[in-house]
Amino acid sequence: MSFLGRALAILRKDLKAEWRTKARLSPMVFFILLMLLVFNFSFDLGGAALREIGPGTLWSSYVFASLLSLGRSFADERDNNALDALLLAPGDCGAIYLGKMLGNFVFLLAIELLSLPFFALFFNLSLGFFLLPLLAVFVLGSACMASAGTLFAALSNNMRLRELMLPLLLLPMILPALISSVEATGLVLANECCEKLFPHLQMLGVYAVVFTVLSLMLFEYAIEE
Amino acid sequence: MSGDDAIVLAGAAKRFGTHTALHPIDLVIPRGQAALLVGANGAGKSTLLRLVAGLCRPSAGSVKINGRDPQRTPEVRAEIGLLSHQTLLYDELTARENLRFFAQLYGLDNPDELLAAALAAVGLCFPSPVLATHERLNQRVGSFSRGMKQRLAIARAILHGPSILLLDEPFTGLDTSACAALHRLLRRFRQEGRTCILVTHRLDEAEGLVDRLLVIERGQRRLDQVLTEDSNQLRTLCAPYLDANP
Repeated sequence: MSFLGRALAILRKDLKAEWRTKARLSPMVFFILLMLLVFNFSFDLGGAALREIGPGTLWSSYVFASLLSLGRSFADERDNNALDALLLAPGDCGAIYLGKMLGNFVFLLAIELLSLPFFALFFNLSLGFFLLPLLAVFVLGSACMASAGTLFAALSNNMRLRELMLPLLLLPMILPALISSVEATGLVLANECCEKLFPHLQMLGVYAVVFTVLSLMLFEYAIEE
Repeated sequence: MSGDDAIVLAGAAKRFGTHTALHPIDLVIPRGQAALLVGANGAGKSTLLRLVAGLCRPSAGSVKINGRDPQRTPEVRAEIGLLSHQTLLYDELTARENLRFFAQLYGLDNPDELLAAALAAVGLCFPSPVLATHERLNQRVGSFSRGMKQRLAIARAILHGPSILLLDEPFTGLDTSACAALHRLLRRFRQEGRTCILVTHRLDEAEGLVDRLLVIERGQRRLDQVLTEDSNQLRTLCAPYLDANP
């Protein structure tokens, strides 16, 4: 079976398991809604506040919600040692990384899109076509978090304090991508797209590609006992 | 080493930090041989199986499967079927989905046919004594009993028709009929010339299924003997080691 075929088989398996259990999406959605609700009561939102604290609120809730999901991304493999069965299958084990990364990417993007109407509601944001570039920011921002997050989730999978280690390892690494995501979201919300947005999207794209390639090379060492 | 050797360990050792799980060992298992690996808990049996399966790198020495290093040539892992302590299955998926998923990973062309054959081999498919088997196949593995999970785990291990079978306590949780099905399966594999390493503490179950005995103790090989037809030989040879302190 081809490398991509194996990755897609793992992705389908993860999506099917998540569809049944909702073990990852449910806590992520509730966490994001809770954060938006708390911010809604803490600040006088709307107008300038939307551009000043909106992007930060949005992305900090995504990052912490993603930690909940990333932490669980290898839990299914750990439960019955199913990761061994994946590793026993012939072929490059980078396919396991790619399948898992795509799964994390899909889950992150799904909650970002799901939470956008609630963000608009709580932050008095009028929805319109000017928000379309936000889709590119979400796609690239999610790709960055998923590419780095999957590697560090695999790395912390064998650690005793994995719940503690994952954020400690991941958060400093995704800081550049996070800053670009926040900046780019701020520009979109202020309806100031065009040339100012492009460097941020470029940065996110390069980060995602570099981390994906690096992770594909390092994954077999990351999952080693 | 000859071309007829299925498994070759040359000075292979495994350390975890300061703990040596397996001291350097030289071991050659020719194609078609069925070896029984015996040892007390923590002796290093599972580590040896994991090394052979390519699931971990040796800290020293080398491991060759059919002349190739499973770490450097991942394709060689398709020749290995591993039954581990744990089921290596997904609780959230149904039995059928689990097996189809692994069939996909192995790139099997006719997964349904092979799936049926693997299930039949462990008494989980028509003509099966287990009632309503087809219905059970569509239920989540998480709802299965330990014995049913074990049958399914065996089906997963043999699904792709491996030439080398590594079985770690395969009789765990199995009822009498499933044990009989596993016996039939292992006899058939012997006749077909497949290589097998069987780890079990139930020596009575291994009788007639193996032709070599390996005993390891504290990560070191203590005994390596080809067996004769004498049915009591296994128990006599193992007694000093299994009765010793773990």
